[in-house]
Amino acid sequence: MALLSMALGIGIVAYLFWEGGPFIWNQGTQFLLGLDWFPGEDYGAAPMIFGSAAVTLMALIFSTPLALASAIYTAEFLDPRRRLTVKAIMEILAGVPGIVYGLLGVSLLSVWVRDVFNLLDGYTLFSASILLAIMILPTIMTLSEDAINSTPAEHRQAASGLGLTKLEILFSVALPHAAPGIAGAILLAIGRAMGETIAVMLVIGGLDRIPEPWFDVFSSGQSIASKLGREAAETLGSGEHWSALMALALILFFLVIFLTAFGNWLIKGFRK
Amino acid sequence: MVHKFNSYKNAIYGAVLFFFLITSIIATANENNLRIAGSTTVLPIVSRAAEKFKIKHPNISISVNAGGSGVGFSSMADRRIDIGMMSRKISENERKKYKGQEFIIYTLGRDGVACAISSEIFSDGITALSKEQIRDIYSGKIKNWKTLGGPDKKIVVVDKERHRGTRHAFMKYIFGNPTARARGARLVSGSNNEEQSKIAQSNSAIGMLSQAWINKNVASVALVHEGMQIKPSIQNIKSGAYPISRDLDIVTQKNISIVARQFIEFLLGPEVRPLIEKSGYVPIR
Repeated sequence: MALLSMALGIGIVAYLFWEGGPFIWNQGTQFLLGLDWFPGEDYGAAPMIFGSAAVTLMALIFSTPLALASAIYTAEFLDPRRRLTVKAIMEILAGVPGIVYGLLGVSLLSVWVRDVFNLLDGYTLFSASILLAIMILPTIMTLSEDAINSTPAEHRQAASGLGLTKLEILFSVALPHAAPGIAGAILLAIGRAMGETIAVMLVIGGLDRIPEPWFDVFSSGQSIASKLGREAAETLGSGEHWSALMALALILFFLVIFLTAFGNWLIKGFRK
Repeated sequence: MVHKFNSYKNAIYGAVLFFFLITSIIATANENNLRIAGSTTVLPIVSRAAEKFKIKHPNISISVNAGGSGVGFSSMADRRIDIGMMSRKISENERKKYKGQEFIIYTLGRDGVACAISSEIFSDGITALSKEQIRDIYSGKIKNWKTLGGPDKKIVVVDKERHRGTRHAFMKYIFGNPTARARGARLVSGSNNEEQSKIAQSNSAIGMLSQAWINKNVASVALVHEGMQIKPSIQNIKSGAYPISRDLDIVTQKNISIVARQFIEFLLGPEVRPLIEKSGYVPIR
């Protein structure tokens, strides 16, 4: 079974390289830095790369503090019965399909964002990142909670024997022990956020442009996954447009790999 | 789920998944299955017709999906579906991509593409626009409705995915180029349904929509054409007076299955005429 999974994984990567690699090789920086995406003429990936990075980063900023706070509370201060209830609910939420969030985003979130921030319309990078934050929060919360809860009892007892208060135990024993697990949870969440297609596609606005000014998150934008979602079906299989889309997919793949490697490096540094 | 499975469960799930994959591939290749996809403008006609057809032929199953004219064409050309629905003609690039292949086009009806605006803007006085005004809005030169004599609100310019038939017809009239860029666009939507809901949600939006999707939240402007104001009404589309009209087509390969042939004959027949009118379009015969 493991061999099959590995073969499948390698196969997918090889396919991406085969289909998209030549395009990046030929176009080079024009593709990566180009600001215009117009099939038949220009293929500039910069707005999509910016969009993916921006919504993922904002989603993490919005969700991580809340998720960690809930994880700490659930692990340390809830009795076992309530803890299991919370965990069960979180794991159900973690499994809700993206399309459900997407539909809720279109009918509720985008209207809310438009009204609260007095915008022209609620289809913005900001809306997409709020939606993603809601989607990844259960994942970060439940995995971090697992990590915190798995601190060996002897370590806690040793610390309490030394006279540390509950809060001090939390910060000097439990959290350091849970750090790799928490980092893993965040990396998993990044993976999901970067790859989420339909929910983002429905609320992000769909405009292939970097906002002016670049930090105007209340403008419409585009992520890599959302772009693939909108255009892949019309040009499946062959042609310049298809190669460009596969090149985008390759970039997404590399982005996730890079972030994962970076996260692993952080964890190793933490362990020392 | 985030928990790890043990290897036995994994193997069983793998086997079950494989089984379903194989059987579903076999099922879709079945002779009594008809797969149709494409334009969301043509979809209501074909969908209603399929329901009626199934009553007489209960052993034939027909799946009708959206996706847009471009998707309908490429899926049919790649033989992934039997019939493609298109609300525009096959483009030069598309023909070039499938050089050597012959396609057959059947026209079911005529439709008009309305320049749609939020109903609030319509009731505030903007009831007609000229080609030049619409062009200036979509190229970003006009940004506020007050420039056109309307309320002081910024225009939410809603564009569509490039391969959509509705966009081709609209852009051909406004810019003279079916795949023109709209630099003043603020949002991009896909199907007629998505565009309709984006225009309805806003109170200052403009977009391109098949006239059959006009409702109480989405109004259509009359086009100022050669000095006259022409509304996208059924009469004006029938007479050809409305300048943005297009055929509603279905396209197939040269060789198709017997079931596909039967359904197409049905689609072109008298029983589907009232369905075309019910969907809000003009039947071709």
